[in-house]
Amino acid sequence: MGAREDFTNDAMQYAPQLFATALRMTRNRADAEDLVQETFLKGWRAFDSYQQGTNLRAWLFRIMTNTFINKYNSQQRRPQETELDDVEELFLFRRMGAFDQSKMNQSAEDQMLELFTDEEVKNAIESLPETFRIPVLLSDVEGFSYKEIAEMLEVPIGTVMSRLHRGRKAMQKMLYEYAKERGLVDESLLDPQD
Amino acid sequence: MADCQETLNELESYLDSELSEGRANEIITHLKGCTDCQGAYEFHADLRTAIKTKATNEELPEGFLDRLRDCLGDDVLGND
Ligand SMILES: [Zn+2]
Repeated sequence: MGAREDFTNDAMQYAPQLFATALRMTRNRADAEDLVQETFLKGWRAFDSYQQGTNLRAWLFRIMTNTFINKYNSQQRRPQETELDDVEELFLFRRMGAFDQSKMNQSAEDQMLELFTDEEVKNAIESLPETFRIPVLLSDVEGFSYKEIAEMLEVPIGTVMSRLHRGRKAMQKMLYEYAKERGLVDESLLDPQD
Repeated sequence: MADCQETLNELESYLDSELSEGRANEIITHLKGCTDCQGAYEFHADLRTAIKTKATNEELPEGFLDRLRDCLGDDVLGND
């Protein structure tokens, strides 16, 4: 049982990250906890097939992603690519001139942290259709490589790249809309677009 | 050498650390000499940091880790 005890101890350090991503996937705390428990049980039972020295964190996220997709009957592998409007390139960057400067007086990095609330960022991610939300979570939030994400989702790397690109743009547009609703944006300050 | 359009097109892959070393160096060289692209790069890098920080700012439910250990313990005993 030694190896399995090692599994529990090693895997437990990833539980908080798994929970945060599970929450963005399921959008519900109780379902997120169930999903993490199921992930650990599957990992525990499949531990014989886990190869020592491979990346335990990626292995757990792969199990969780697959469990989520299967359990929630996701369309991940047969996606409706049209379920997301096309957003222009550099959407948010091109509109930063419209943000109220009086609310933006810190260093650039702090500015970005101040500009959007935690809730807005969480909502922007959760508003993405699953097909786009899962790659964005695995990349932007968890930092997995295109190759790792492609393996987790069992889709080609090019598909991962295009879903990330479209998902990120849609998320930026959503963040811009939230900022507008909070009165942070004065669109008259924008240069007229051609 | 990468021009502005190429740099902006590949900014995302660069931020994802997915460019070859040679190509990444061409992008870095361009960024050093172009304040417009450097601004776009910093904006997206800061945005990425903000998203990651905020999306992971979650408190675990009370007793979460204990329940997780318990469910693995139960599985060992065969009463799942
Ligand atoms: Zn440039």
